[in-house]
Amino acid sequence: MSAVAPAATAPLSPAAASQRRLQWIGLAVVIAVACALPFLVSNYRTFQFTLVLVYAIALLGLNILTGYNGQISLGHGAFYAIGAYVAAILMDRFGVPYWATVPVAGALCLVVGFLFGLPALRLEGHYLALATFALGVTMPQLLKNKAVEKWTGGVQGIVIVKPDAPFGLKLSPDQWLYLFTLAIAVVMFVIGWNLIRGRVGRALVAIRDHPIAASAMGIDTARYKSLAFGVSAMYTGIAGSLGAIAIQFVAPDSFAVGLSIGLLTGIVIGGLASIPGAIFGAIFVQFIPNIADQISKAAPWAIYGIFLIGFMFLMPMGINGAIRLGWARLCHRIAAQQKGG
Amino acid sequence: MSVPLLDVVDLHAGYGLTRVLHGISFSMEEGSITTLLGANGAGKTTTLRALCAMIRPQGEVRFRGERVDSRATEDIVRLGIGHVPEGRGTFVHLSTEENLRLGAYVRKDRAEVEQDFDRIYGYFPRLAERRRQQAGTLSGGEQQMLAVSRALMLRPRLLLLDEPSFGLAPLIVRELFEILRAINQKERVSILLVEQNAAMALDLADRAYLIETGRVVLSGSAEEVKNNDAVRASYLGY
Amino acid sequence: MDAFLHQVIGGLATGGIYASVALALVMIHQATHLLNFAQGEMAMFSTYIAWALINAGVPYWGAFFLTIAFAFVLGLAIQHFVMRNIRTTSVLQLVIVFIGLLVIFNSVAGWIFTYTIKVFPSPFPKGDLLGQKYLSPHELGAIGVTLVVLTLLWAFFRFTSLGLAMRAAAQNPGSSRLVGIRVAWMLALGWGLAAAVGAVAGMMVAPIVYLDPNMMAGILLYAFAAALIGGIDSPGGAVLGGFLVGVLENVLGAYVVGNELKLGVALVLIIGVLLVKPSGLFGSVQVTRV
Repeated sequence: MSAVAPAATAPLSPAAASQRRLQWIGLAVVIAVACALPFLVSNYRTFQFTLVLVYAIALLGLNILTGYNGQISLGHGAFYAIGAYVAAILMDRFGVPYWATVPVAGALCLVVGFLFGLPALRLEGHYLALATFALGVTMPQLLKNKAVEKWTGGVQGIVIVKPDAPFGLKLSPDQWLYLFTLAIAVVMFVIGWNLIRGRVGRALVAIRDHPIAASAMGIDTARYKSLAFGVSAMYTGIAGSLGAIAIQFVAPDSFAVGLSIGLLTGIVIGGLASIPGAIFGAIFVQFIPNIADQISKAAPWAIYGIFLIGFMFLMPMGINGAIRLGWARLCHRIAAQQKGG
Repeated sequence: MSVPLLDVVDLHAGYGLTRVLHGISFSMEEGSITTLLGANGAGKTTTLRALCAMIRPQGEVRFRGERVDSRATEDIVRLGIGHVPEGRGTFVHLSTEENLRLGAYVRKDRAEVEQDFDRIYGYFPRLAERRRQQAGTLSGGEQQMLAVSRALMLRPRLLLLDEPSFGLAPLIVRELFEILRAINQKERVSILLVEQNAAMALDLADRAYLIETGRVVLSGSAEEVKNNDAVRASYLGY
Repeated sequence: MDAFLHQVIGGLATGGIYASVALALVMIHQATHLLNFAQGEMAMFSTYIAWALINAGVPYWGAFFLTIAFAFVLGLAIQHFVMRNIRTTSVLQLVIVFIGLLVIFNSVAGWIFTYTIKVFPSPFPKGDLLGQKYLSPHELGAIGVTLVVLTLLWAFFRFTSLGLAMRAAAQNPGSSRLVGIRVAWMLALGWGLAAAVGAVAGMMVAPIVYLDPNMMAGILLYAFAAALIGGIDSPGGAVLGGFLVGVLENVLGAYVVGNELKLGVALVLIIGVLLVKPSGLFGSVQVTRV
């Protein structure tokens, strides 16, 4: 009988090791391309890709909560809005430099998300969806309210100025902002990746799949679930602040309930409970509405709806799921050929 | 000479890429109690599922002479085959009585269905006590009785039972098996019993088939199988 | 005081509409175990069909029943062609499909019928009811019609074997097959019924709020809230929830937070109730043994 080594420390088989190497190489290529991007395309495209990065961060946040932890949120647009307004108010009213607003937005949303997560513990499924939906619906109204108009600028919103590249670097503001956002995105993804594959990630998934068994094993379900809300809100808040800086404008109606629904759509289409899924979803959220508009000026949302249903038909596990399935089938076929040949 | 009630020839079935049955053949006479024995994973439950078309079977399955292997589950039920599935399959959010009523769903004889309620409550008085109770709150033993009763409400010619003893105290199992014997004798319901608990199954059955890794490896009367040395060593423990 | 009474009774009137739609949602949840977000848009689309029929000269009640038939077939078709073919592993995938349907119906309605507001006729007499101004004949009639429809539905689910079979098929398709229920038909029927009930609600609401593609969105949200606050499996709770939500909406809007915030605050209050009673005011706690 061979001894069974613990999974984390056992040496990999040659096949698995070479697959792992391939993944690292692939990742390096992706990051290299991402860095080179702003120098290869127009400023407007760079701006669009900055937004893709922004959505990717938000989607990763939502995925932590909904994909890995199973808590549905139809209100994450609210956290995005909070992050955006924090950035705008700090920059416009207090002259805080843009890069300092990002961590503040993140910290504030972490707290707000955690606080929201506490009462949400009692709600499941539909009820939680409704509660988060209420949050998403109310946020624009709160932002328009007369009481806080002094800070939020009411219906008109706030205009902010896009920062120039620092240290006199020869980059356009769009290019600089893209690289800045990319750096933050990489950091957030690394943190998220570590979180997911560590003890926290396993606890979150255990709670999603078998809450009773999880708590019977000693996992503090309540703490992890509220933490998941907090962390997820933090990510989305950071995304919101970056988004505000990129778009240079915040107004209540930009953060209507359609944003929350769009984010949820993004993670399902990109691939639930997957990290690359956040990126695929972000690409979908940013570009598909434009494509739909080009296909039909009369009823673009109908085309968008057809895209949604089509994706669920063809790729129920999202883009990430489809890729993994395709890759597995390819490997299976290669292995079978090698055995036969 | 009469046609066997159930005749299975060279049955193959599985789940996706995993093939479980590799050519099962057996038959049952009307009025008999037959048991399929085997260890976990041998393919017993898969056999029952294939018979009811819950998974797609390959091979020939004849019920009272008619081919049924390409029919849908809903149609096979209408031929008079009642299946008590693994895990009971209780409608947990409905009441006990509603569960029973569903058992008689395909029947057209309203008055006799009402009479059958009394008959079933006669066999299982505990169900009568709990008739309005939500079925999901019944104990394991009661849910098993409910599952059997639901299948009986069909007035089936053939009753398929998938591991009815699972998770039940021996005393309850014995009670249940006594009732099964009574039903077989009084109402001429043929029974195909899949069981891991070989001892109790062989006490109840007339004929037995032993299944290992998807094939029938031994068949005979229950007495013969009970006295078989290999069976005694591996499955009966003495 | 008079103004307050006006708000309350007005709230009861709109609450009646919410109650009807909420009841439809609960009924259909019993049959399909799904909360169809696209229900509102399908109802709106059916109402447009009714409008087109009436405009073409068909008398009101003829158009009414033709539309119900159309909606029934529409629901059947969507279940058969769209829902049946989706291999779902999670609720979220269904949510996305519903969102897709919602958006398609809304957009197509706007495209075919334009976004200009249209007047939709009421079958009930005009003028003041018994000389008071709080509740119009149509509002009362609308509540009456929908409650009749829903009583019929309730009786159907509770007392007929087909209704029982539909509930069983929604809860446990595997076991349903084993008792001979044709599960696919049951689901299609459930969708057809849902669509038909939605069409009735739409035709009753349209004379009050005028017909436009976004007519049902707010109503659907309030109806969801009402269904949840009453308990998703309690028809009586849904009705009570509807009235409660209607009154809350009016009173909050008039006295507490103004029209802008009343939606959000109403929802927040409902969440408050849910925190105290997570399965709703009248929902039963579903016990499942582990």
